[in-house]
Amino acid sequence: MIARLHADARAIPILLALVGVCGIVASSNATFVQAATYAGIYAIAAIGLSLLLGSVNQISLGQAAFFGIGAYAVAYLTTSANWSYWPALVVGVVLAAFFGVVIGFIALRFHGHYLAMATLAFNLICVGIFHQWKLIGGAVGINNIPFAQLGPIRIAGTPAFWFAWIAAAIVALLSLRLLRGRMGYAFEAIRNDELAAEVTGVPTRRCKIVAFTYAGALAGLSGAMYVAVIGLMAPDIPGVGLTVDLLLMVVLGGMGSVSGAIIGACFIGFLSITGHSFDNWREVAYGVVVIAVVVAAPGGLFGLIRGRARTRATDGAPAPRIESAMAPLVLHSNELPLVVSGVTKRFGGLIAVDAVSFALEYGTLTSLIGPNGAGKTTLFNAMSGIGRVNTGTIRIAGTPVTGWAPHRIARLGVGRTFQNARLFDEMTVLENVVASVLALTRVNERAANDRARETLARLGLEHLSTTYAMHLPFGERRRVELARAIAADPWLLLVDEPAAGLNARERTTLQQDLLAIRGRGVTILLIEHDMKLVMSISDRVMVLQFGKMIADGTAGVIRNDPLVAAAYLGIAS
Amino acid sequence: MLQLIVAGLTVGSGYALVALGLHIILRATRIINFAQGEFLIVGGLFALTFVEVLHVNVWIALLGSTACGFILGLVFERLILRPASRCSEIALTIVTIGALYILLYGHALVPLWGSSPHPLPAFSGEGADSFAFGGASIPYQSLWVFLLLALALAVMYAFFERTYFGKAIRAAANNPIGARLTGIDVTQTRAISVAISIALCAFGGTIIGPITLVGGAGGTAIAIKGFVGAIVGGFESPVGCVVGGLLVGIVEKLLEGKFEYGLADPLVYSLLLVTLLVRPQGLFASRVGVRD
Repeated sequence: MIARLHADARAIPILLALVGVCGIVASSNATFVQAATYAGIYAIAAIGLSLLLGSVNQISLGQAAFFGIGAYAVAYLTTSANWSYWPALVVGVVLAAFFGVVIGFIALRFHGHYLAMATLAFNLICVGIFHQWKLIGGAVGINNIPFAQLGPIRIAGTPAFWFAWIAAAIVALLSLRLLRGRMGYAFEAIRNDELAAEVTGVPTRRCKIVAFTYAGALAGLSGAMYVAVIGLMAPDIPGVGLTVDLLLMVVLGGMGSVSGAIIGACFIGFLSITGHSFDNWREVAYGVVVIAVVVAAPGGLFGLIRGRARTRATDGAPAPRIESAMAPLVLHSNELPLVVSGVTKRFGGLIAVDAVSFALEYGTLTSLIGPNGAGKTTLFNAMSGIGRVNTGTIRIAGTPVTGWAPHRIARLGVGRTFQNARLFDEMTVLENVVASVLALTRVNERAANDRARETLARLGLEHLSTTYAMHLPFGERRRVELARAIAADPWLLLVDEPAAGLNARERTTLQQDLLAIRGRGVTILLIEHDMKLVMSISDRVMVLQFGKMIADGTAGVIRNDPLVAAAYLGIAS
Repeated sequence: MLQLIVAGLTVGSGYALVALGLHIILRATRIINFAQGEFLIVGGLFALTFVEVLHVNVWIALLGSTACGFILGLVFERLILRPASRCSEIALTIVTIGALYILLYGHALVPLWGSSPHPLPAFSGEGADSFAFGGASIPYQSLWVFLLLALALAVMYAFFERTYFGKAIRAAANNPIGARLTGIDVTQTRAISVAISIALCAFGGTIIGPITLVGGAGGTAIAIKGFVGAIVGGFESPVGCVVGGLLVGIVEKLLEGKFEYGLADPLVYSLLLVTLLVRPQGLFASRVGVRD
C-alpha cells in the first residue's frame, strides 16, 4: 500500500466508530440525528470528489449535477412510476455513473481551469434542464417522495441515520480498497506526473475515466439517498451551492484522503443544518476558511491531525550491488526489436526529424548522438508514443506502433527514461518502481514489491527504498528512474542522456549498469553527449544533425568520420 | 430583432469587460478568477453608494466606483492571490471560489446593499428614456454603454500598447523571469494588472447598472458568461475576449426572445462546451497548442 494511505487506513475505522458511538449516545436528539444523517449522505459524494481531486488531480465543479441526476431518478421513479425504492436507487446510481463516463471523456480534453469551467457549465446546464423539464416537475420539483422501506423498517429518523452511515462506511472501505491496489498506484502516479505515468505503463486516460465514473456514481448514490430521507426534490438543490459545499468538505478535510472527506462532510453537514441563523456570515466564513486552508494547510484538517508525511532522508551506506543472477531474457519473436522507417516530425515550419530510418539488433547497445537540437529526444518521443509523427512508421518487435498511446508501447516491453529524470516525487523510491511493475505486469502487489526490491538491489539502491523521490540528489534520481524503467523486464530500453549532471564515479556506475542490462539481452538505445562513455560502451553509434541521420557505424568509424567532426566542431566539410 | 440585439450588446458589454478582466488576470498570474463577476456586482454597488449616500452626480459615481474597484483589486491581489500564488492550479481555482463566496455573501451583509438588486440612475434623463430607431425602442443608456465601453477599450489599448508601464506589464506576463532580469518589478506589475482588471469590472457594473440593476446574486452567472465569452472569442486574444463577451450577450437575448426565459442560460453555457470541444483556441486566437 502507498505510504500516504497508511494514516487514512488507520483513521477510517476510528472515525466510523466515533460516528457510531455518537449515533447511539445522541439518538434521542432529533436535530443531531438529522444533521448527522445528512453529513453521512454528503460524505459519500465528498469521498468521490476527494478521489477525483486528490488522487488523479482532476477538478470537477459539477458534482452536484450527478447528485441531482441520482436524486431525480429516484424521485421520479418512486412517485410517478410507482417503483419501489431499491431498484430506483440502482437506476439512479447507474445513470449518474453513465454521465460520469461522459464527463470523463470530455475531461480528457481539458486541463485545470478549463476543466473546472467546463464541469461548472455542465452543472448549470443540468440545473437548467431540471428547471425546464415538466416530466420531473419543472421549477416546482417533486414532492411526497415515499420513505424507503427495508423489510419492516421505515427509513426515517434514527434508521435513516444508520442507513446513511452504513452506506458511507461501505463506500469509505470500498474506496480505500480501490486505492490500496493496482489502481491506487496508478492514480498516485498520475497525480505526480501524468506523462511519466503514461510512459511507465499507466493507462492514464482510462484511469481518469474510471475516477470520473466512480465520483459520479457516488454523487448519484448520495442524491438517491438524500431524496428518500428528505422526501422532496427541487431543481435548485443540486445547484452550484451544493457543488461548492462538496468542494469545501473535501478541501477542508484534506484532498485525496477518504477520512478527510468524512471529517469535512461532518463539519459542513452540521453547519448547514445548524447554522441557518448565521446566513451570509456562515458563507463568508466558509470563503475565508477555504482560502486559509488552501494557502496555509493544503493537507486540510486530516493533514493537520496526521502531521507531516514521514520522510526519511538518505540514510545508511549504499548497499552493495547484487550482481545479476537472472537468466537472460527469452526472446519471443524473431522480428527486429526496433525498426524505424522514414520517420519525419515537424513542429510548424521546423523539421525536427527528417526521414530517419534505422533498425536495431537484439541485445545491442546503440548510441544516438548529435548536437543540441538535432532531434534526438523528438525521435525518442516518437518511439515512445509521445506526439504523432507526420510520416513514416515505427515497428517494435514487428508490431507497427504509430499512433499508439505511450502506455501501450510500454506494455510491449519498452522502457524509457527522461532527460530530466521524471520521478513520482511524492512517492517513495520503492513505490516508484512498484507503480511501474503493477502497471506493466499482471503480478499482485506482493510480487510487485519483491520484484521492485530485487531491481533496486541489482542497482545497489535498496537502502533508498523508503526515501521520497523528491529528497533524492540528482544522480540517484537518474538511477531510480533507470530502475523503474527496467523493473518490468523490458527488452527495449530508451535512455535519454543518463550521464548529464553525473560526477565521474556516478558515470562509472552508470556504465556498469548499462552493460549489465545489455548483458541480459536488453536492446538499448542511448542518447548521450559524453563521448568517452559513448565510445567505450556502444556497439554502434548513430549521428543525427538537423533531424537527418548523417553517420551510422561502429565507434571507430564514427570517430574518424569527417562529417561528424564537422557537425560537432563546426568545420565546413 | 434589432431590439434584442441592442439589449444583448448592452449586457454583453458587461460580459466583455468581465472577459477582458479575466484575460488580464490570466495573463499576469495564470489564474482564472472565478470571482470576477462578483466584482461587477460590487462595482455597481459602489456607484450606488456614491449616488445614495454622498449624493453625487452619476458621472462622479462612475469615476469613484472605478477607483474603488482599483483599490479593491490591489487588496484582493495582496490578501488572496499573492499568498496563494505558489499553490497548484486546482488550489488556485478553489481559492478564487473562496473569494467568490466572500464577495457574494459579504456584500449582502452591508446595510445599504443587501441581497436584492437596486436601480441605479441613468447617465442622462430618466432611466426608461428611449428613442425609436428602425422599429425598435432603444434606451439612451445603451448608447452610453457602447460609448463608454469603446472609451474603456481605447484607454486599455493606449495603456498596454503605448505606455512604458503597460508594456512592462505585458513583458512580465509573457516571461516573468526575463522581465525580472531586465529590471521590471514583476510583483508590482502583477498587482497593478489585477487592480486594472477589477477596476474594469467595477466600471462595467456601473455603466450597465441603470439597465440591469445593481446588486443581487447574479455575479456567478455573469462570471461564467464572461468566461464563455472569453472562450468563444479566444482567451489569449484581448479583442477576442471583448467580441466574445458581446456575442454571448446577443446570443443570450436572442435565445430569451425565442424560448422561455429559463432555457436561454443553459443554452449559453452549452456554447462553452461546444467551443471547447470544437475550437478550443476560440474564434480569434490563432496560436496553436494553447493549453492551460
